[in-house]
Formats: sequence, structure tokens, C-alpha cells
Amino acid sequence: MIKVRGLSKSFGDHVVLKDVNVEIKDGEILAILGESGAGKSVFLQHLIGLFRPDQGTVEIDGRDVTHLSERSWLELRKNMGYLFQQGALYDFMTVFENVAFPLQEHTSLQAREIKVKVDEILEMVGLQEAARKYPAELSGGMKKRAALARAVVLGSKIIFCDEPTSGLDPMRSRDISDLIQRTSRRLKCTTVITSHDVPNSFRIADRLVVFREGVIIAVGTQQELLASSDQFIKEFIK
Amino acid sequence: MADAEREAERTIAMSFLIRYISDFLVGTGNALFFLRDVLFCVVRGRIRWAEVLKQIYEQGVQSVVIIALASFASGAVLALQGYVMLNRFGAKEYVAQLVALSLVRELSPVFGSFIFSGKAGARLAAELGTMNVNDQMLATRTLGVDPVEFLVVPRMVACFLVLPGLIVFSELVGIFGGYFIGIYDAHIPSATYIHQTLRSIGYVDFFSGFFKTLFFGLLIGWVCCYQGFYTRGGSLGVGQYTTKAVAFSYILIVISNMILTKLILTFWG
Repeated sequence: MIKVRGLSKSFGDHVVLKDVNVEIKDGEILAILGESGAGKSVFLQHLIGLFRPDQGTVEIDGRDVTHLSERSWLELRKNMGYLFQQGALYDFMTVFENVAFPLQEHTSLQAREIKVKVDEILEMVGLQEAARKYPAELSGGMKKRAALARAVVLGSKIIFCDEPTSGLDPMRSRDISDLIQRTSRRLKCTTVITSHDVPNSFRIADRLVVFREGVIIAVGTQQELLASSDQFIKEFIK
Repeated sequence: MADAEREAERTIAMSFLIRYISDFLVGTGNALFFLRDVLFCVVRGRIRWAEVLKQIYEQGVQSVVIIALASFASGAVLALQGYVMLNRFGAKEYVAQLVALSLVRELSPVFGSFIFSGKAGARLAAELGTMNVNDQMLATRTLGVDPVEFLVVPRMVACFLVLPGLIVFSELVGIFGGYFIGIYDAHIPSATYIHQTLRSIGYVDFFSGFFKTLFFGLLIGWVCCYQGFYTRGGSLGVGQYTTKAVAFSYILIVISNMILTKLILTFWG
């Protein structure tokens, strides 16, 4: 379980997060919705230790990780996967090498075992044919699939997805959302997604959080949000 | 009114100056912390040698042609100019010494480092900068891997190892360029030219240039990797930081060369 209590963050005079409190249950898919600049990505990056909060705490499985050193975070992140908005694949590696990289770094698997594992993951995300391609040769959707494969190849228990459908057409958005849901269920991992893609978030998320100007204004299921009387939420999910 | 305007201008100028100085101090501090992180990895033996070899190929082998061309031309021009001047005093045989000593002590280490910085250093800064603006650095951290260890240390180690080799090669090619002119233009007998060259270069001459090169290799790697590692501002930023990397490398090479030359001449002759 991930528990966030009283999280606040500012960059200079600009307050990005204000007293954010949320609990993310094991195995659930939580979608964080909000306008651009509402603080979603910054919040997500706090959960994986890329930012340190000015105030508040982040607890993962009962362990306070707020003030861990970068070296401790590097250890902890081996159990987490992070899908970047643009994929952030290494452009000097092929898709296969990108996905194999975490296995080479953090396991003692032999080359043959790594190949079996990577092939299996690439098949799961539908990229077997693109294994030898470089990221520059892939479409936006393929890049995200490859990045998702890399994020989960170690069997991560938590996956963070930053705007996984941004820049994709509606069909590809639906595909990648379904893939995230399938992967999450199959690996039984906790998944946190930031998005402003309301329809796909409603389809795949167990619960949703709505951010506005760095503050959480609603937490609940799809039905609960639809029943909300808050004007902003009504407008946002319309 | 005029006084008030002048006072306002003075205040603005002061605030710019203060900001410039504080930015400079912060930048220098960050660069030193960055170097500390790199040295920490090296001391702990966290060097990925397979990556280092790849970088040696990319930085070193791919710089050989440009270094060879520039060195040959430098040696030839030095011999041409030297021959014209020395011939006035009837001492054209000393062209060989002039070329060899100039190249080994100063010209090859400094100009070779300039060329290396412009080619390999710019490449380092642009590569790391692009990775940075495309979130690949952050991705490395989220994969539980230290980006300094994975991306910076191999590049800096390769820089440190490859530059001295390139400079020795540059000295040899430069001397050959001088030899070419000495033989075909100044009509110095080949054996005389070779003899004069070998006689003129002492251990001190060779190693003073060599040690400088080791230092320049570290300097270029440090400055260019640091600029690349902290690149901000998208593709525009990559261009700006790469230019800064090369410009700072040049400035630091020139300044440190002056200091190192003085130290070497004082303590070593």
C-alpha cells in the first residue's frame, strides 16, 4: 500500500502540490485526473523518489521513504516500473536491448534466460516483430508498449504511468489503456496512472483522483465522480 | 529625476552582477560535486569496461582522421615557417628540432585537445544533453541504475584514456608533416632530419606534454559530461549547452596549460 500524507511541494514561489493526502491500495489501478499543470506528474514523481517533498510523507508498504538517499531509492525502484510520457527508451539500444537492460542490471540470469524472458514480455505487449528495431523506427504507440515492457520486465509490484495515452489517436489510446490494465491484472501489481484522458481512465481504473491546482478535490470510483455535484468535476468529466 | 534614474540603473547593474557571480559560484560548486560523484564511482571500481571500450572507439578511433589531418598540416606549416626564418641565419637543419620540440611540448597537447574537445567533447555533451531532455536520464534512475555510473563514468574514463594516445599519435604525424617539408622543400637530408629530431626530444619534453594531456582529457570529459548531464530546455538547450561545453573546455585548456607549463618549467625544466 502507498500512503501519502500532507504532501506539499513548491518550485520557487509556485506552489505545485498542497497538502495532498491519498492511500493507494495493493493491486488497484488508480487514475489521477486533472488539467495540464495541475500537479499530477510532480505528484507521481514524488512516489518514485524523483522529487523530495517540502512537507509531508510518502509511505510504501509501511516504510517511510520520504527522506531516503538516492542510493536507497535506486534499490527500492527495482520493484517499481515507470512509464514516461514519451517512453524515454534508450535511443542507442534496440527494443530488445531496452527491455533486457533491467534484467542484465539487476538479475543474474544468463543471456539465454534473458532472451526467453524478453521475448515473452514483448509478445505480451505485441512487439515481437519490432524487437530488433531502434526507438527512432517505432511509432508513438509502439514506443509506449516497449517502455511498458521495460517497466514491468522485472516483475515490478508497482507501476507508475505518466500520461500513457498522450499524443496517441483514440484507437491507440484505447489499446495502450487496455494493455496497461491487462498487464496490471496479470502481474497483480499496483498501478498509478496520470491522465487527462477521462474515457479511458474510467474504463480501466478502479478508483480515480481529481487534482486541481495542486489540491485533490475528489477521490472515488467512476460512479462516485459521476454523481459529484462539484462544478469543476462535472465540467472535466463531461 | 536624472539621479533617480541613475540610481535605478546602478541597482539593476548591481543585481545583474550579483546574480552572475552567484550563478558562477553555484555552477562551480555543482560541477565539483558532479566530479566528486564520478570519482566516487571510479574509486569504488564501478566502471563498466565494456561501455568504456565502446566509448574509446567512438571518441578515439573516430577522431583519428581529423587529428591526423590537422597534425600533419600543423607540422608542415611549422616546418615551412621555421625553415624560412632559420634559413636567414644559415641554420635550416634546426627545423627538425623546432618542429619536434614545439609539437611535443606545446602544440600537439594543446591543439590536439582543442580538436578533440570540438569533436568528441561536443559529441559527449550533445549525447548526454539529448538523453536528458528526452527523460532517458530520469528513466535510468527509475530503472534503479545510477546515471552517473552508467552514462557518465564510461565516457569520462574513455576521454581520460584516449586523449593521451591521440596526442602521441598527433605528435608523430606532426613530426612526419615537418619531415615531409624538411626533405622536399628545405632539402635537408633524411638521416639528418631524423637524427636531429630524435636528439632533440628528451624524456622531460615528452612527458611534460603527456602529463598535460592526461589533465586535459580529464578536463574535457568533466566539462562536457557536466554540461550534457545538466542540459535543460529541449533541443534549443542541447545546442546551447553543447556550445558552452566546448567553449568552457577551450578556456580551461588555455588557462590550465599556462599554469601547468609554469609548474613544469619551474620544477622539471
